Amino acid sequence: MNLKAVIPVAVIVVVIIGAYTGGLFGTGDRSEIQTLSVQGSTTVLPIVQKAAERYMDLHATVNIQISGGGSSVGVKSAGEGTVDIGMASRELKDAEKNEYPDLKVITIARDGIALIVNLSNPISGVTVEEVKGIYDGTYTNWSELGGDDVDIVVVGRDSASGTREFFWEHVMKKEDFVAGMLEKNSNGAVKQTIIQTPGAVGYVGLGYIDSTIKVLTVKVGDEEVEPTIENVKNGSYPISRNLYLLVKGGPEGLAKDFIDFILSDEGQSIVQEEGFVPV
Amino acid sequence: MRGSRHKSAERIIEKLLLASATIAVIIVFFIILYLFRDAYPAFKEVGLVKILTGMKWNPVGEPPSYGAYPLVVGTVLVTLGAMAFSIPLGIGSAIFISEIAPSRLKPGFKFLTELLSGIPSVVYGFFGLVVMTTWLRITFNQPTGESWLAGSILLGIMALPTIISVSEDAISSVPTDYKEASLAVGATKWQTIRNVVVPSALSGITAAIILGIGRAIGETMAVMMVTGNAAVLPEPITNVFSPIRTITGTLGIEMGEVAVGSSHYHALFALAVILFVIVLLVNSSALGVLMKLNEKFNPTEKKSRGWIPRAAASLLRRAFWGAIVVVILYFAYCRSGVRGSLEAGLVLAFFSVFVIILAHHPFPRHEQTAFFAAISGSAVVVLILLGVILYYIVSKGIPAISWEFLTQPPRDLGRGGGIFPAIVGTLYLIGGAMLIAVPPGVGAGIYLSEYAREGKITRLIRAGIDNLNGTPSIVFGLFGFAFLVLYLNFGISLLAGMITLGVMVLPTIVRTTEEAVKSVPQSLREASLAVGATKWQTIRNVVVPPAAPGVITGIILSVGRAAGETAPIMFTATVFSQRFLPHSPLDPVMALPYHLFVLTTSIPNSIQNAYGTALVLLVVVLLIYAAAAMIRFRYRRTVRW
Repeated sequence: MNLKAVIPVAVIVVVIIGAYTGGLFGTGDRSEIQTLSVQGSTTVLPIVQKAAERYMDLHATVNIQISGGGSSVGVKSAGEGTVDIGMASRELKDAEKNEYPDLKVITIARDGIALIVNLSNPISGVTVEEVKGIYDGTYTNWSELGGDDVDIVVVGRDSASGTREFFWEHVMKKEDFVAGMLEKNSNGAVKQTIIQTPGAVGYVGLGYIDSTIKVLTVKVGDEEVEPTIENVKNGSYPISRNLYLLVKGGPEGLAKDFIDFILSDEGQSIVQEEGFVPV
Repeated sequence: MRGSRHKSAERIIEKLLLASATIAVIIVFFIILYLFRDAYPAFKEVGLVKILTGMKWNPVGEPPSYGAYPLVVGTVLVTLGAMAFSIPLGIGSAIFISEIAPSRLKPGFKFLTELLSGIPSVVYGFFGLVVMTTWLRITFNQPTGESWLAGSILLGIMALPTIISVSEDAISSVPTDYKEASLAVGATKWQTIRNVVVPSALSGITAAIILGIGRAIGETMAVMMVTGNAAVLPEPITNVFSPIRTITGTLGIEMGEVAVGSSHYHALFALAVILFVIVLLVNSSALGVLMKLNEKFNPTEKKSRGWIPRAAASLLRRAFWGAIVVVILYFAYCRSGVRGSLEAGLVLAFFSVFVIILAHHPFPRHEQTAFFAAISGSAVVVLILLGVILYYIVSKGIPAISWEFLTQPPRDLGRGGGIFPAIVGTLYLIGGAMLIAVPPGVGAGIYLSEYAREGKITRLIRAGIDNLNGTPSIVFGLFGFAFLVLYLNFGISLLAGMITLGVMVLPTIVRTTEEAVKSVPQSLREASLAVGATKWQTIRNVVVPPAAPGVITGIILSVGRAAGETAPIMFTATVFSQRFLPHSPLDPVMALPYHLFVLTTSIPNSIQNAYGTALVLLVVVLLIYAAAAMIRFRYRRTVRW
């Protein structure tokens, strides 16, 4: 063994040991720390994370740990009791209700779903029927809807997404999506594709609306309704869904206090700040 | 007295190595068992034939349909495309590095290509989506660039570092006397490379290809961002611009949200099993090709320690042709409809042409200049790819970097503050994963090469390990979640993440170690044994030192993969943000790739810090690489034969 070869190994070892011991300093007394663990849907994560940041500012001895993984992971780990609170962006499935009958579901916010297109698209509004026509393959070119002669690139969410499930039930009336639909597993990914593809159309949560994409209004009767938090709250914008927290056997102690905080006026103003609709 | 102590020490060491091999094998088969267990209900409920031949994947329709045929075709097409792209480029670059490049530049060049493997898959995916699909859309005037071609190119790039690095090690370890003998009888340099060097390194090159394809086929996060994920067959089947959906993409986008225990959940595991079988077929095809080449170059099979003995060779060859027949029948059966035969024929033709090209090695003679140009060209292409991706990450990431960013915890959902806890968490995870994977991995590799007798069991073990390498990382994540987090009740913890990552990189370490050790010439061992050294003394003093660079290559590739993977840790170890650094292995951690993943997918207006996180992750990996590459460089300089 060459002695010189030992030096880099030693450097690595020292760095790793340093990193480990680094973790032991600067946190003071931990005996009074109360930990609350939350896991599940990444759609719900921003609300809970932001609320947790605010809550921990108010309560110095509380440590709230939030991880993602998806709604099913949230249901499973809350149901098994691995975490204190689960997050889900869809309703419980029958299989889950049977397995975890004592899982309590709490609605903490609504998520308005906006239809978005590329900035170059001249179309400004559609009816719910036209949306259905786009997504079931009736329309394949924007000229059929009064736009430019550009092929429609249909972008949707993955088949396990709560957003898609809602869309499928309330917009598609439970009919199949067109086979060539591009499927994305997050709001961020849908938006990115819309930004860079002239013919694309997709749907995202209200929090993702900004000037890089164009938002379509939805015609309800004679009225063109814009997807805003206000319009979702008063019920005039037709496409939105609920977001949930899950607690085994009902919340107690710290979990209850934290959930009450999210449902309080202050918590609900955080919901609104993050682009979701208060309940 | 001394002798007997030696003997018992000898036996203990053999037992230790056997134990580590056994641990590695148990882990491998445990995961395979887990896969099959959760897939079984789907096969029972829906039926294997219906899953394999169904044309529609719509698990949430009414009624749900679980037809995997478009997904299988998508996986095969994307993988074939990636192979067509990465194998010539990869092997060309490997030959360039070991035989053509000036010797002073070799370590640097190799290091650069390995950098490619340290780029996290989420970053590849994002780069692919933003840069590559846009380029494809505009260049080829398509409605969208998210397509088969985009997936193939991206996966090809991701497979490159493994192919280059492992085959370069194999080519470099071809004994110099082989080359000198060839040159001495008047062969040109190109003839020597073609007829002596590459054939001698074939076992290692095949391992490189298998590992590379494994990485490509099991990749989840990147591929699902660029292929569009439409579960349709390309129309016509050769349309590389059609969106396509792979099995891993399906697992990646649906696994996180599906209800555990539902038929959709089991159907996803059934997909994982189908993928497992595809990997098996691809691997045995690669072995079949190796067989053919071996026969061509060593007609009398003089090499006693060749990878596969003769009896096994004919068996594997039969398995290979059997596999091809199965594939033909499968395509023919499924597509016996209207346009069926034509499409099936085209896929088949594509596949056969590919096999024939590989098998017949149609390089014309006396074209040294042309081939050296081609080989150097492939190296240049790889460097350009690296440059483009690095430029993209660095230029977008630099504005986010500040002292605060590196030393503070995140604020405001990661839009503000820094990523310090994630840096620490990633170091913990990598360190722990290596502690868990390296000892059994290296031990198992040495045992397989030096002690294990070639037989059915060894081959089964090797096949299991190769297959595990191609198992999608998300399956490891789910395994960790079900077994470590829930069943063993570790909770979401550092320990669960370390073990999951360790298990994931184990196959790479075992196989690269085995290949590196095997490439040490038999004559060295015989010389050592002849002067009275024991077997273990021979291994420790004669076999392992020259094999060290290869072993380190395997570890480097593993560190890169462990550092950049999101799927295995997102269910098992990570929290999005945390107030304190972890104090015990049972605390959860933050990690860079996961932080990046959440920022890009779920937090609006956080793109700046997402790029910054990607850059930091790259630098962390780069520092670890630099240290490992220095070790390898020292060994390389001191050991020669």
